[in-house]
Amino acid sequence: MPVGVGFVPVLITIVFIGLPVALAVLYTLGKTGGLNETIARVAQHQVVAKHGFTLGAYRNFIDSKELRSDLWVTFWVTVVSTAALVALSVVLALFVRFSKGRVGRLVSTVYVVPMFIPTVIASYALVTFWQQNGKLAGILHALGLPSSWVPGFTSMGVVLGLVCTNIPFAVILLASSMHGVSDVLIEAARDVGASWPRVVWSVILPLCRLPIIIIVTFTAIGTLGNFTIPDLMGPNAPQMLGVAMTDYYQSYGQPQQAEVMAVLVFLAALALSGFYVWASRSERRRVSAQSGAK
Amino acid sequence: MSAAAGVGTAGVGTADVGTGELGLRGPSAQVGGAGPATAHEPGVAARRHWRPSRVAGTGASGLLLVGLGLFILAPLGMLVLWAFADYWFFPSAFPSVWTLSWWKTVFSGGDLSTAVMWSFIFAPTVMVISAVVCLPAAYVFARREFLGKRAMMMTLFATNAFPKMGLYIAMASVLYALNLMGTFMGVVIIQLLNTLVIMTWIPAAAFASVPPSLEEAARDAGAGPWRTFFRVTFPLASPGIVVALILAFLASFDEAQGTFLVGVPNYVTMPVQMYSLVSDYPGPATAVFAILLTIPSLVLLALVRKHVFSSTLAEGYRLR
Repeated sequence: MPVGVGFVPVLITIVFIGLPVALAVLYTLGKTGGLNETIARVAQHQVVAKHGFTLGAYRNFIDSKELRSDLWVTFWVTVVSTAALVALSVVLALFVRFSKGRVGRLVSTVYVVPMFIPTVIASYALVTFWQQNGKLAGILHALGLPSSWVPGFTSMGVVLGLVCTNIPFAVILLASSMHGVSDVLIEAARDVGASWPRVVWSVILPLCRLPIIIIVTFTAIGTLGNFTIPDLMGPNAPQMLGVAMTDYYQSYGQPQQAEVMAVLVFLAALALSGFYVWASRSERRRVSAQSGAK
Repeated sequence: MSAAAGVGTAGVGTADVGTGELGLRGPSAQVGGAGPATAHEPGVAARRHWRPSRVAGTGASGLLLVGLGLFILAPLGMLVLWAFADYWFFPSAFPSVWTLSWWKTVFSGGDLSTAVMWSFIFAPTVMVISAVVCLPAAYVFARREFLGKRAMMMTLFATNAFPKMGLYIAMASVLYALNLMGTFMGVVIIQLLNTLVIMTWIPAAAFASVPPSLEEAARDAGAGPWRTFFRVTFPLASPGIVVALILAFLASFDEAQGTFLVGVPNYVTMPVQMYSLVSDYPGPATAVFAILLTIPSLVLLALVRKHVFSSTLAEGYRLR
């Protein structure tokens, strides 16, 4: 088979991902010609560069108080949900790896459930459950707790929704790598007197660095570009950028401002990808250095 | 894992996809068998049972289970109850009046049946196009060494490296320029992009796991290249290919964000319909629709469960 066929999916990626991203960057810098002309013709409130480039569209973004708070909420939701996901999935993966008996089996059945449910459905189910007049409020009420504690339509609810839908991916990755941690290593550490928290911190987690890096990178990127969960579960304001850019594009007729937001999340994702490439390279070097030393 | 670093497409995934036997089931034998605690004598284990840390551990695991239940199972259970509820008011635990009328509403509704139709048109279309585009590429990636192979596989990876909604917004402007916005082809393209990695990397690992010596033997016995491929390579790699097909089908079937941006109002699939259902329809009707939308995912993912567990999916995120 000719090597050229390998180029077909790559070509699709270049045409429908590389080209749009490059055009989006140009458009936000005030370039409205070429393939950007169609969208620029229907756009309102756009900044056009007479010659060279202009940062006007970005200045408009920073000047807008609403968009600044959207940016801030996107940032903290991403950080908090990624951190919470890593913490929770480490606990769950340890459980799946080490617990014997019914509880362990039960946990390993339950945590994969969100994988079988489309995100739209999962977020709808979650928000119905914990909105102000939902069943979680009923449970809190029955327990004598204030029912206003429910996270329905708050940014904290978005965090919980993101954690919930990402759990299967994270735990599957971590658990499969924890199964690779040999019992011999753990027993050796236990024999010289290491406590369980110490074993987890100094033996198991260092051996799971790569999956943790993968989880951090891809949930953070996924969160930055998420629309479904913040749209269905989040408040009307402040919105995460995924929702805000859709509104600016589809409803407000301001595609340039929407693309400014897109470019901003691209830059964040670029930083994350750079971190990922660097971390996985150094991890690979470390592992091969170790196996070379044997 | 260091071995996987060098060999290109054939990685850890090779064993997973190829044999279909490995995965969580294999290693999970460890959980029951040589767990760390069983290494101690029974007396020690029994004494430990009374330690405060042990009790705290049991309490913590109970708490974890309750939390997971509240977090994952309860909302879904409630959704199912909602689908049969006529009257259900705060703070009662169960609906006070039950009904099947919401199911009739959904099955007779024009919009909703159209959404079902579009979902079942787009998903197979995208799956087939994806297979046609990616399977030959997967074979080439698995069997041939050539300049730029690594760069090409990294480029495919770009579909996972961009925040989705940002990417769709950027794509939409190009689709406008090409007159593809709001068209069938536009929706196909946007859904296709989500399947490229799955459809290339998983089958590539499957092809790589077929020993080249088998192909050579077939060629020696006089089989042509096509005959060799369809009678030897393809059947041996088919488990991995089937997994990729099912996952590509589901990726398209469950895709909501991009289709929402590109397809509305002409092409509304089931997940996209969910967005407007949530605001425009009574809750129970939405619950019925949600259950209907979940069934195909549930059935198809249950079929490939073993492979998903064997971290085949995760391979799409691993740099080599």
